[in-house]
Amino acid sequence: MIRAIGKGSLASILAVGLHIVRVIVWIAFAGLSAAIVAIPLIPPFAHWLAGLDGVSVNGDLDVDVGADDFVVVLRNFISFGVALYVVERLLELLKTLRFGTPFVKENAIRFRNVGIALLVGELSKIFIGILAMITGADVDADLDLMIFIAIAAVFVLAEVFREGARMKEEQDLTV
Amino acid sequence: MSISVKLDRVLLDRGMSLTELSERVGVTIANLSILKTGKAKAIRFSTLEAICKELQCQPGDILFFEDDGRPIRDD
Repeated sequence: MIRAIGKGSLASILAVGLHIVRVIVWIAFAGLSAAIVAIPLIPPFAHWLAGLDGVSVNGDLDVDVGADDFVVVLRNFISFGVALYVVERLLELLKTLRFGTPFVKENAIRFRNVGIALLVGELSKIFIGILAMITGADVDADLDLMIFIAIAAVFVLAEVFREGARMKEEQDLTV
Repeated sequence: MSISVKLDRVLLDRGMSLTELSERVGVTIANLSILKTGKAKAIRFSTLEAICKELQCQPGDILFFEDDGRPIRDD
């Protein structure tokens, strides 16, 4: 049977996995952040470069980076931003579990913030969908009922943790 | 909290220290300190019984109700 805490426990296995995921998501997020800044600058930079003395361009200069590309990058930027935020909160939750103090008010707040982040991430698809319609970008902006149910489950879990923390505090302060 | 604990006053009247009471009733000093400083959220009947027995007093000598106007569950 897998132990709840300690070496070889599910919590420590999850923590290792989440640390790896965090590194990957951080790299992707950093790349997307750079892309968000770079995309609007690429066409003017290319034209400036083409206009420099000693630079010749054969034919028309066609820099194929448009608003639709920006929407795709923005969609992924939001997704990875939310993923990064959720992973960070989950690691903090696991840390309290490994220290043997999961039922604290802070964890209820963490779960609620995870729920809010997921909700913002999901609702941002509406905004991305509108942008995709305007620019013609090919992005998946469909809302999924199951994700909203999962978000509701996270909020319920947050309330369970809040009550758990209150009961734990009451137990600790019962003489 | 509207319930205040006057354990220190009763201890003073009986000339007993918290350490002595702790040894007599079998409750840790840490827990008695929580009670004495008013941080306790609840007290078991068994603890109250043991304290009253040792201090020869009534629960009402230790616990007082003073309405501070705050809601009961303010956590």
